[in-house]
Amino acid sequence: MTTLTRQDLNFGQVVADILCEFLEVAIHLILYVREVYPSGIFQKRKKYNVPVQMSCHPELNQYIHDTLHCVKPLIEKNDAEKVVVVIMDKEHHPVERFVFEISQPPLLSISSDTLLSHVEQLLRAVILKISVCDALLENNPPGCTFTVLVHTREAATRNMEKVQVIKDFPWIVADEQEVHMQEPRLIPLKTMTSDIVKMQLYVEERAQKAS
Amino acid sequence: MSRDGRRKRDRDDNGWASRGGYMAAKVSKLDEQFKMDAPREKQKDGACSSIFTGVAIYVNGYTERLGGSVTAVYGLCARGPYNRRVQLLDPSADELRRLMMLHGGQFHMYYSRSKTTHIIATNLPNSKIQELRDQKVVRPEWITDSIKAGHLLSYLQYQLYAKQKGLSFPSVCVRQGQEAAGPSHGQTQPSHSLPVPSLNNLIPGLNNPAPSLGKPLSSHHTPTSSHSHVHIDNLLDQPNQYNPLAGDLNPQPSHSLPLPSHLNPQSRHFSPGHCFLSPYSSNHLYSDPGHIPHHPPSQGQPKPGCIRPLAPADTHSQTPGPVPAHPSHEHSKPGHAQPQSSLSFSNHLQHSYRDLDFRLNGSLLTYDKTRTAQINWVQEGGGEDPCPVRPTRGATDPPLTNGHAHPVNGALKPLDLSPNPTRPTDTPLNPDRKSTGGSGSLHPASPLSNSPLKSDPPKLLNSPPRNPTPPPVSHHRHHEQLTNEQRLKPPPPTYQEATAALASRPLILPPPKPRQSDSPPEKPLPLDNPNRSPSPVRLNGSHHNAFTPNPAPLETNNLSAIPSNPAPPDSDHQSALAKTGGIISEFYSHSRLHHISTWRSEFSEYVNTLQSRRRSTGGATFPGRDRLKRQRREGSSAAPGPQSCILHVDMDCFFVSVGIRHRPDLKGKPVAVTSNRGPGRVAQRPGVDRQLELQYYQRKYSHAGVSERKDGDLEEMTSAESHVSHGNGVDLDTTCLSMAEIASCSYEARQAGVRNGMFFGQAKQLCPSLQSVPYDFQAYKEVALAMYETLASYTHNIEALSCDEALVDCSALLAELGATPEELASAIRTDVRERTGCTASVGMGSNILLARMATRKAKPDGQYLLRSEEVDDFIRDHTVTSLPGVGRSMGAKLASLGVRSCGDLQQVSLQQLQKEFGPRTGQTLFRFCRGLDDRPVRSEKERKSVSAEMNYNIRFTQVDEAESFLTNLSMEVQKRLQGAGLRGRRLTLKVMVRKVGAPVEPSKYGGHGICDNLARSVTLAQSTDSGQLIASEVIKLFHAMRLEVQDLRGVGLQVQLLDGAHSAPHDPSGPKTRSIRDMLLAQRPPAIHNHTDSLADAPVADSTTNQGKSSSATVPPPFSTLRPPSPADPIPGTSKEELLPSTRTPNHVRTRLNLSIEVPSPSQVDRSVLDALPAELREQVERSWTHRETERSHNGSHHRPSSPHPSSLLSSPSSPPPPAALPVGTLVLQIPNQPGQPGSTGIILELPDFSQVDPEVFAALPRELQEELRSAYGRRETAQAQGIIMAEQRNPLLQLKQVGASRVKRRYKKKNANSSPTKKGPSPLKRPHPPGNSPAKALQHPLRPRDLSNGLKLENGPSTSSLKQDVPETLSKFTPRPEPTLAGACDFTDIRTLLREWVTTISEPMEEDILQVVKYCTDLVEDKDLEKLDLVIKYMKRLMQQSVESVWSMAFDFILDNVQVVVQQTYGSTLKIT
Repeated sequence: MTTLTRQDLNFGQVVADILCEFLEVAIHLILYVREVYPSGIFQKRKKYNVPVQMSCHPELNQYIHDTLHCVKPLIEKNDAEKVVVVIMDKEHHPVERFVFEISQPPLLSISSDTLLSHVEQLLRAVILKISVCDALLENNPPGCTFTVLVHTREAATRNMEKVQVIKDFPWIVADEQEVHMQEPRLIPLKTMTSDIVKMQLYVEERAQKAS
Repeated sequence: MSRDGRRKRDRDDNGWASRGGYMAAKVSKLDEQFKMDAPREKQKDGACSSIFTGVAIYVNGYTERLGGSVTAVYGLCARGPYNRRVQLLDPSADELRRLMMLHGGQFHMYYSRSKTTHIIATNLPNSKIQELRDQKVVRPEWITDSIKAGHLLSYLQYQLYAKQKGLSFPSVCVRQGQEAAGPSHGQTQPSHSLPVPSLNNLIPGLNNPAPSLGKPLSSHHTPTSSHSHVHIDNLLDQPNQYNPLAGDLNPQPSHSLPLPSHLNPQSRHFSPGHCFLSPYSSNHLYSDPGHIPHHPPSQGQPKPGCIRPLAPADTHSQTPGPVPAHPSHEHSKPGHAQPQSSLSFSNHLQHSYRDLDFRLNGSLLTYDKTRTAQINWVQEGGGEDPCPVRPTRGATDPPLTNGHAHPVNGALKPLDLSPNPTRPTDTPLNPDRKSTGGSGSLHPASPLSNSPLKSDPPKLLNSPPRNPTPPPVSHHRHHEQLTNEQRLKPPPPTYQEATAALASRPLILPPPKPRQSDSPPEKPLPLDNPNRSPSPVRLNGSHHNAFTPNPAPLETNNLSAIPSNPAPPDSDHQSALAKTGGIISEFYSHSRLHHISTWRSEFSEYVNTLQSRRRSTGGATFPGRDRLKRQRREGSSAAPGPQSCILHVDMDCFFVSVGIRHRPDLKGKPVAVTSNRGPGRVAQRPGVDRQLELQYYQRKYSHAGVSERKDGDLEEMTSAESHVSHGNGVDLDTTCLSMAEIASCSYEARQAGVRNGMFFGQAKQLCPSLQSVPYDFQAYKEVALAMYETLASYTHNIEALSCDEALVDCSALLAELGATPEELASAIRTDVRERTGCTASVGMGSNILLARMATRKAKPDGQYLLRSEEVDDFIRDHTVTSLPGVGRSMGAKLASLGVRSCGDLQQVSLQQLQKEFGPRTGQTLFRFCRGLDDRPVRSEKERKSVSAEMNYNIRFTQVDEAESFLTNLSMEVQKRLQGAGLRGRRLTLKVMVRKVGAPVEPSKYGGHGICDNLARSVTLAQSTDSGQLIASEVIKLFHAMRLEVQDLRGVGLQVQLLDGAHSAPHDPSGPKTRSIRDMLLAQRPPAIHNHTDSLADAPVADSTTNQGKSSSATVPPPFSTLRPPSPADPIPGTSKEELLPSTRTPNHVRTRLNLSIEVPSPSQVDRSVLDALPAELREQVERSWTHRETERSHNGSHHRPSSPHPSSLLSSPSSPPPPAALPVGTLVLQIPNQPGQPGSTGIILELPDFSQVDPEVFAALPRELQEELRSAYGRRETAQAQGIIMAEQRNPLLQLKQVGASRVKRRYKKKNANSSPTKKGPSPLKRPHPPGNSPAKALQHPLRPRDLSNGLKLENGPSTSSLKQDVPETLSKFTPRPEPTLAGACDFTDIRTLLREWVTTISEPMEEDILQVVKYCTDLVEDKDLEKLDLVIKYMKRLMQQSVESVWSMAFDFILDNVQVVVQQTYGSTLKIT
């Protein structure tokens, strides 16, 4: 039986791989569920043994992919505290923020035997929760866009600037406008706790979306 | 599958488990039948009543009808004949059924935990007692007597066992036969009115030939007969015994006060046992006779365990000088009269037991001064033991010695303790046992005779010791009785056996054959314990002879020293065993592997000291070297200057040659050292599938070379493959041969094909003339030491390889002497032979490898110098497996590469080797096969790891057992770490888990069978040697592995990344605890006098220490007004930090009840299941939780005093003393300080609820005791009243245990949360609350200030001390990932249940409860579990807003407001509540 510990070199990578894969699925699904893009560009796929929607728009896909590619090193180093999918109205004021709050549990040692299936179960639950979150949320105004924010811990940003994973795809400090939301209301969606990662997803929703 | 599976399961758990539909249907059908039959029966008989209304009995185990099945299950009990005899006298099951019909009761054909109210039995095997410990097990006379009396009698008097809790040994109802067999019964001693067990009675109808045994049974039909209950308790559960009201500790209210039956003064029956037991009786009387604990394998006399709380402590503290010696150290005394018992019981509970026992024996001596010869074994208890440590220990902390703290002072402790003979109390003790018959006995006696007088004089009136001159005959008789007992209790080779129930013993262990005087004591002896005295057991041994009707050869006779036990198993006891904490120490004191491995480090240490001594003195004398030098000068020959020469000195078949060195008759004969001395055949045990194991191993080793192993699937193994020779070389026809392994065999035996490690049974087949020699660890050690001394007389460049082999780097020596290696070698060999009488072989080579290889050629009794020019030829023909480090698996792997000899290996390229075996191993192989080895002889070795492992006899049934086992193992590791002065950072937990499909019971008794090996490790933030810390981490790991505890077969703990503890020598915050004893000694505050004036003061004082933790179910306020106002204590919650040391008295040190082992922790219990339990049971479970809470807080208290200067605790902010706590209902008996005995410890007893005290029982107590109790209750009531002020109108929320558990968890969680950088800001809790009902109240909440201080501390950087402070509390019940809990509940369904109860049952919520909920919600936020928070809030909203009371709506608003504030602060937004 293999035993991984956090000290193992690839541990962070494993976690980051799993999470980024998941985030990709989740972002696609959020975009579909929140109707940021027309449903026509989405296709039904199967992931984690549940149906999900995935965009087939190559540029969108590339953007999401690149974004996550840049997120990955942060997650690897446990520098990413939150990954936020912000849905903004036409004025670029956020109306909804899907916050994936990531932390790594204190347990230092894990084993690989039951791990993956267990994590998959948990991720599946999160995905399912996303796909029904429209029941909990107000409808968004038309013409929304989205962006992805990463809340990093401490001085991770500085390092990030030094090490650009993808050329021409730099991280920038988010505008206050993009981050700040008026009268946010918090809707917890799902919390998952596994051996390798602890993540909770909640939505912050602007009280008055229409304005 | 299901059918068979179920049936199997049913059989496995002895039919007591819940059953499926079929059984349910059958049971209900039987019930109906019973109901239908009842009226008919009544008509027939006429005389009917309804006295048994509400009583449902189940008859167990003594009738033909049910007994048949029972004996089938408990085949080992062999109670058949006895049962039948009983049956003649007692009403049969059918009769009982009829009686129950007639008198309105119910008769259950099948036992049902919920419905059956009483179990009728006359005797039960241990396993059942275990299962029934919560039940009322009553003798049938209860029914007949009740019918006679015309009303339902209290069953208490008829209880089969006075206290059934935690039995590991069957308690057996003593049949007191007035006219029972033997002349011994003829003599009566009127004063021996106490129920005392005699061995005859203990094992009725078995070895005892007395045909009249049946007769006394009739006495039970008379209600006046004293139903003495010999309570053979599990020793590990014995903390209870320290309670004079042990029943109180027993969560089982029905047994709470079993006193009356024992106090019954009119018992007129005397069993032979009474004669010699008489001296104890006094103690029984004034302590709790209800629990006459029994220590089966030791002496068979009942130990008045209950005496302990009063007497030992009393005696110690009141009599400064002559305190009896510490018997626990008798484990290490070779001359001990009962080697078997002393060996088998090394755990401390048993120590204390023994202690007690012997002290009592000592007292006996006063009455028998003139007859010392007859009772020589007693003397040795009282007088022989020269080790004086015990008194102090006993005086300072009797509970500790019995408590969970034991692991620290484990069985190996004698090593630590015995060299410490300077105690004020030891002077009167004459170490010479022979001469102490009179004088020595006086001392032990005095305390005893004093103490009863002082503490409870009236009881002495009944006490037999008053009887000044017992008839001499009786003493003789009594002596015979003793021996008789010893015969009946043959020395068990293992603790396991020792704990094996009486029930099984008779079958397993035939009486020992007369002990031969040549059989040496089989104990590991510390080197510093030189005075060995001939074992008096031999004296008794002759009696054995006389009394042994069946002198069958006894395999257990020889050895208790090793765990390999050929005796048949009793799996029920194994579990009981595994749960016992001391088993680890026990195991280590018996495991030969352990001994041998310890010796290696010991000898390394020895060499180290030699080195350092030389360094310090600047030189050393080498007598051997000088001698050799002289010889050299005489015969001066030109010496070749050898460049480098290593000597490998290895004793020839060490164990054997040591074993027979005084037995010339065995020289030259095939001899094997093994634990088995029988004919080599043992009965096949059920559940053993040897075939399968054989196949497995064969397959495994035959496939070992294949890189892709196929051993994963046991099902694959269909047929036995062609026989492959392997370690044990077991043949298929050895199925019932002894599985005792041969540790070593002589060369003669080897010629016959016997190999080390072979099972004895098989070896015997190969070599019928094979003689077996028992282990003799002491002799091994002596010889080994002699060998090392010899070597050290030449040089100090020695590397200890094991106890019997060493490497000597003699390059410099030879250069100095100008001698040849051969000369040196022969000189050494001669010396060794002269000094030890054993031969050694010496191999010489230019490096270690060659020297070792040369030794092979040199053996036996020779020497061989492997010259460098011969190396190539020499090594080429060796098989690869002869290279060091090439074992079976690597050999097989090499074989698969076509490499068999070193010559072959030389052909393999380095690259290929490195590819196959990894860079380092490959390189090593590459070099080794060429005879290259550059390892230096390292006389000073650095340890890389410290570990403790046990893979024998691990049979857990519950997670708790595993946890406590891990805790104990951690303590063992701690001991070793501290012994080596090391601390480690990396912990590895290794477990062996029964392979899926492998037989549940391996063919080797107690062995691990076919297992999967798993390992996990964790790296700590800081290196530690704290067992507690290790335990908590390990338990975490253990939980993370999610194993079936039942399948665990081996557990090992390893600590790596070591650094010397010296690096932080006087770190006050560091876990420097050496032992509990040290802590106690260090931590004795002078202010203890405050507590000594009256015992009644103590509970109050104690309860001040921490209410936060100690609130029990009965006293729920989160903090209590009990605490005396102290200026340093402005905020209740912070009292923990600010308590003065004076309030932390050693009184808190208390036994940890083994209760905790049996009941799973609250978090592990399905609440619905709990709710479904009968109220009584539930109460019990919950009570035990409460116990555990207390224990946990006591755990904390054990740690605090580790700092040498208590005052420094105050000054150092990082180590606030964790509070010790006692439940309020605690009675502390304080004994005034004695000058010679500073820091006497009180005994702390818990009282049951007063409502649970049977008034009759109470009335039956002696007046003094009554008053004592009354005052204690009075005190408690006031305490409670004060508590109630705080929490009047309790509600379920707070009543459901809560506090301790939730708090601990929460604190732990806090720690985690706070250490995460995200939570830098102050906790929202610490901010002023928004307008709520009472912000001020919120501030008072006990949790907050502590959290605050905790948080601050941690943010400053977690130090070991803060870790340490947290960990011990979470230790005993550890949740892998602590979650926020609400009153102990963390599962959402539980929370919901709680909340629903709260809202629906209470009209007006208490503020505190609301705050609890707020706190919980806040925790959830911090735990980042918003989802749950959302659910909780929504659920509350539904509940509270629907409530008719508007208060609830307000309460919800308040909660919501608070939560929103927290959420706002944490997330910048508020929850959307829809």
